[in-house]
Amino acid sequence: MKQKIFIITGLVLLVGVIAIMLADLFSSKKADKANPYDYKMGELRKTDITCNGYIEQLTIKPALEEIHAVACGSGDRIYVAGKNGLEIYQVNGKPDGNFRFEGVASCMALDKKGRIFIGMQDHVEVFDQLGKPCNKWKSISTESLLTCIALTDSYVYLADAGKKIVYRYDMNGRLINRIGEKDPQKNVPGFIIPSPYFDLGIGKKGELWVANTGRHSLEQFSSDGALNSAWGEASMSADGFCGCCNPSHFAFLSDGSFVTSEKGIERVKIYSPQGKYVCMVAPPSAFVEGTKGLDLAVDSKDRIIVLDPEKKQVRIFVKK
Amino acid sequence: MRRIKSIPAKGLKTPAGTTARTFILTFFSVLFSTAMAVRRFPKPEFETNYIQPSTQIPVPRAELLAYLDVFVLLVSLSIVTWLILKKRSRLWVFAMSVFSLAYFGFYREGCVCSIGAIQNVSLALFDNTFVLPLSVLLFFILPLVFTAFFGRTFCAAVCPFGAMQDFFAFKPQALSSRLNTVLGILPYLYLGLAVLFAATGTDFIICRYDPFVGIFRFNASFGMFLFSGILLLSGVFIARPYCRFLCPYGVLLNWTSRFSRRHLTITPKECIQCRLCEHSCPYDAIEVPVTSKSPESRPVRVRKMMILTVFVPFIVLVFGYAGSRMQDTLAGVDSRVKLAKEVMALSGKQDAGYGMQDAGYKMQDDSYEIKAYKASGKTESQVYSEASAVVKKFYIGGWLFGGFIGLAIALMIGGRIMPVYRTDYVTSKGRCFSCLRCVDYCPVKS
Repeated sequence: MKQKIFIITGLVLLVGVIAIMLADLFSSKKADKANPYDYKMGELRKTDITCNGYIEQLTIKPALEEIHAVACGSGDRIYVAGKNGLEIYQVNGKPDGNFRFEGVASCMALDKKGRIFIGMQDHVEVFDQLGKPCNKWKSISTESLLTCIALTDSYVYLADAGKKIVYRYDMNGRLINRIGEKDPQKNVPGFIIPSPYFDLGIGKKGELWVANTGRHSLEQFSSDGALNSAWGEASMSADGFCGCCNPSHFAFLSDGSFVTSEKGIERVKIYSPQGKYVCMVAPPSAFVEGTKGLDLAVDSKDRIIVLDPEKKQVRIFVKK
Repeated sequence: MRRIKSIPAKGLKTPAGTTARTFILTFFSVLFSTAMAVRRFPKPEFETNYIQPSTQIPVPRAELLAYLDVFVLLVSLSIVTWLILKKRSRLWVFAMSVFSLAYFGFYREGCVCSIGAIQNVSLALFDNTFVLPLSVLLFFILPLVFTAFFGRTFCAAVCPFGAMQDFFAFKPQALSSRLNTVLGILPYLYLGLAVLFAATGTDFIICRYDPFVGIFRFNASFGMFLFSGILLLSGVFIARPYCRFLCPYGVLLNWTSRFSRRHLTITPKECIQCRLCEHSCPYDAIEVPVTSKSPESRPVRVRKMMILTVFVPFIVLVFGYAGSRMQDTLAGVDSRVKLAKEVMALSGKQDAGYGMQDAGYKMQDDSYEIKAYKASGKTESQVYSEASAVVKKFYIGGWLFGGFIGLAIALMIGGRIMPVYRTDYVTSKGRCFSCLRCVDYCPVKS
């Protein structure tokens, strides 16, 4: 009798196993299960508020249909460019002028003479302060996607996310050289740009910095294309750059520190000139989830100007 | 940067140190070549609060390590076979099964295993674009080769699945011969389905329902852990339930073992009919003597054979036909067919052509499969056409699968109606796992 109970128990369990297998294999009903690969970002968006070193001081709401680029000019005037136009604001956020042009501005920079260099998809257009066209450079390539312009006294640097390369031009639009092409001999790894965010900037000493987003690093080049240094690491935590490709934008404070912005986990942070994480300027909670293209500028008082395309605002952060 | 090439001066021999260095460099470059090749792009960072989902396939091993595994398998099979046939030591066989569980189970994470290799081999036979690694092929073949000569020594102490279940056989109960025969059909069904689904590129169901891999990798989901737990619990009363009534590789080993000339024997000399071993086998793999005062006459045997000659093909055809009628059910497991049905349900079609009819699928627009389909840019007709090709494969596959099951059943019935006479207690060559338990009971020692 006892033996029969054991056998029946064993058989019932075995049949149960087989029934589970068959039910799972042939059932057309889908289990209402969550995606096992789902990357839950909720926890990552939470930031220690004690790390926040800045507060939002001022918000500007441009009237442009789309906003894509922000820059700071003389007298700390704020320039905002986007679809079919550009708007200028005083330091206190009051409108100070605007003009229209044809096309979508993807990036912008100002030279010492006050001329405005606007990157549009595959070429650059130059305007004076009143919006009068001064120059229109020829198209670089149909595959080009200009995402950043930076100026020195003599040169114009262009970041082309489409061709994944940086160009150095003279002020009149004549190409001098290409920077960042993969070159194992010169130890240049090449740019990995998986998304259309590819920023560059001129540091405190006039050196060129480029965001190699796929490598989660900022790389410093000489004007002839030699790679001098690089820093940055991939991390979801505050001290690194998140996702596939970040930082999407960066700018410099007066002491040479870096201000960076990221997409994926939307946040604006400050790093020391040596690349060490310092503090959070704007945590993910300050942005609408999914915001991309947080262009940055810094004025002479080290106010951090953040372009928020999702909210269609220019947001100014100051130190607490 | 200039490359400096080291060239030994003319007439001088290459120093021994250089040779050694070259060997070491070659060794490590081969050893880590796979791992290095993977890291060519900075990977996304997943260290912060991200739980990696468990996958069927573990991280690939470097090629050299895969061959090391084959070497360990070969050595293990050799040692276990020697322990069984020469040393006849249950204790040492048990020790080897502990090693196999540790190495092939926990260290190797149960993959690639000989059981799962059936699917790789099947897919390689039917899909010429699938590359079958040599190491996987060897994992499939080596145990079969040893079994063909020495019996199922692989099952005794090399297979980690067997070792795992062996530890749980606390209260093994003898099952009746009829129950053993009926349950013995299950591995044939499993083998048939596994080969069918692998050959059609549908799924590797042996891996999908591998009961122990989650335990080996310490990452079993609760459902899978429960599944393994139930199986092991049943193994407390029915020893090695997976090996006996599920293992598809066991079918192949059963066949090949029947040809083994040097199979384990209960007694090293002549059987003294003491009957001590009669109930020693927890797997019901000891054949008791069958004697008859009046053996069946030749005409009776001939008549039975003639009936079987007609009966076997008839059963094969009936089951083959039944299998072909199951093509829709079988094809329904395939993800391409599932997607086609989802797309059809979404577009509200009853009949999408290509033989795709509404199967009552209710699918939401935001399912992952539909999202992936929309992102792929495929047209509806492409999806239906692909699914239709799969269903056609299952028509032929269904015939073969059904015929195979029919043949297995017919031969089992044939085996039961054709009497076998024997005078001694012997191990069943097909079903014996060569575990040596019976040997301990035998008073005759060499």
